[in-house]
Amino acid sequence: MKIAVCLKQVPDMESKFKIVEDKKIDESQIAFKINDFDNYAVEAALQLKEKFGGEVVIVTCGPERAAKDIRQAFAMGADWGIHVNDPAVEAGDNFVVASTLQKAIESIGGVDLVLTGVQAEDDQAAVTGVMLADLMGWPHCTNVKKLEVNGAALTVNRELEGGLNEVIEMSAPAVLTVQSGINEPRYPTLPGIMKAKKKRLDVKKAADIGASAASKTDFIKMFFPVSDHKAEILQGDAATVAAKLVEKLKNEAKVI
Amino acid sequence: MAKILAIAEHRNGKLTDATLELCKAAKALASALGAEPAAAIMAKDDALAKEVAKYIPTVFCVANAALEGYTADGYTQAIKAVVESQDVKGVLIPHSYDGVDYAAKVAMAIGAGIVSNCNKARVDGGKVIFTRNTYNGKIQEEKSVNTDKFVATFEKGAYDMEAAGGAGAVTAVPANIASVRTKSKGIIETMAGAVDISQAKIIVSGGRGCKDADKYKEFIVSLAQKLGGEYAASRPVVDSGWTDAARQVGQSGKTVAPDLYLACGISGAIQHVAGMKGSKCIVAINKDPEAPIFNIAMYGIVGDLFEVIPQIKEKL
Repeated sequence: MKIAVCLKQVPDMESKFKIVEDKKIDESQIAFKINDFDNYAVEAALQLKEKFGGEVVIVTCGPERAAKDIRQAFAMGADWGIHVNDPAVEAGDNFVVASTLQKAIESIGGVDLVLTGVQAEDDQAAVTGVMLADLMGWPHCTNVKKLEVNGAALTVNRELEGGLNEVIEMSAPAVLTVQSGINEPRYPTLPGIMKAKKKRLDVKKAADIGASAASKTDFIKMFFPVSDHKAEILQGDAATVAAKLVEKLKNEAKVI
Repeated sequence: MAKILAIAEHRNGKLTDATLELCKAAKALASALGAEPAAAIMAKDDALAKEVAKYIPTVFCVANAALEGYTADGYTQAIKAVVESQDVKGVLIPHSYDGVDYAAKVAMAIGAGIVSNCNKARVDGGKVIFTRNTYNGKIQEEKSVNTDKFVATFEKGAYDMEAAGGAGAVTAVPANIASVRTKSKGIIETMAGAVDISQAKIIVSGGRGCKDADKYKEFIVSLAQKLGGEYAASRPVVDSGWTDAARQVGQSGKTVAPDLYLACGISGAIQHVAGMKGSKCIVAINKDPEAPIFNIAMYGIVGDLFEVIPQIKEKL
């Protein structure tokens, strides 16, 4: 099986975020990592490769720094990758990214399955995978919690509200967007990390792969949410705040 | 007149709450845009269309045997048929599990830009400006589309539910539903478990900040026992296998409303909050002072749960 995994590099969400001129994040204090959902997609692809053979190709749109996390996926066991590093794509919306991923995946040739995370932790849009499927002319399933492959026949569990799953049958080629918890992503081994350094990573501009889509949405501004409610923050060391909390739960909220 | 179209979702013959919220949203946006609010429902027959018409004056019903169950292909073709025949300017879709599965496909099918996961929308100079959560709820952004039509998905609770009113008109819209490429084999329960945390008066819930299974047990489970309550978890804890799925609180798990909900090491992502915001008293313990959980908690402790919880146990 030839599997392409679309991977995005995102900030660690526990970072201290600063907004510059209402437009972007100050990256100087931010640590970047693989989008958590994509990490599950990488693991799902590696498990299929272990079972059926073939190769796992990482496809990423992102700036220079994204190469670190493509190599991280290589260290987990992915075979090679395409890194579209193009400011025009960076400035584009989900549709531009989906169109670029489509061209990159078509340039690989013979891909049977595309896996990616259900959403990116940073933009929380959950649309790119579905758009990609539509552009490829392939069926898709989102929020995949279980995946069985039997030749071209796919049986997937789609997560629904309240602990329900829908069992769906479909055929490859397809795009599946993976939900967290589908598997237990592996950590790279030391030999894996050594090998990753030598694996093939093709760095491309959008024009190199024939991608030229234009955004259908415009970004206006970003800001920190203003909440009309803020918790009463208890002050002091651990012993003091614990005592205050127990007192308040007993006498003020009267819940214990 | 151009229409703002709310997509009605239903499960087991009942409209979802999100459908009523979108009827409210469609009315608000249509009024600001000088457009007409409407809804569309896709089903095997028109049984539920009249129900939708209690909440919005115009309902388009695509009734087709191929729409008996939800599929992305079926919904997209049906919605496209309504959009193309009825002068639709904007399509509003719940950011539900189904909505996430078809909304972007609908946008592609009608050549519209999509802004997903919105919590607000306003009209400025004839343009709809959408507000949405990003960066795990820490930052919000505003977006608009530059296409003629728009598709937007709204998170649950973005609008209040519309109250039932008069009896709107139902119009049948024919659609040719061909080549549906996914086949549903049924819906299964994945969280069947002995424990039912939804009845507990006190819940101590742990998140990613618990670090590992042993610490989750040592700090969260033991505090729950000391308080005579149940222990629960946010999604990452269950994904990592530190506790069972039946104890997961949130959109994809259980909905709870205890007297006391102690959220420890939980950031407060919207998907988690959806399952516990009805709690009487919410307490948040988190190292990150910017964690969104502090926006819904009554009491907050900015600190290390591994230091604070033993102290709480001692004071009880």
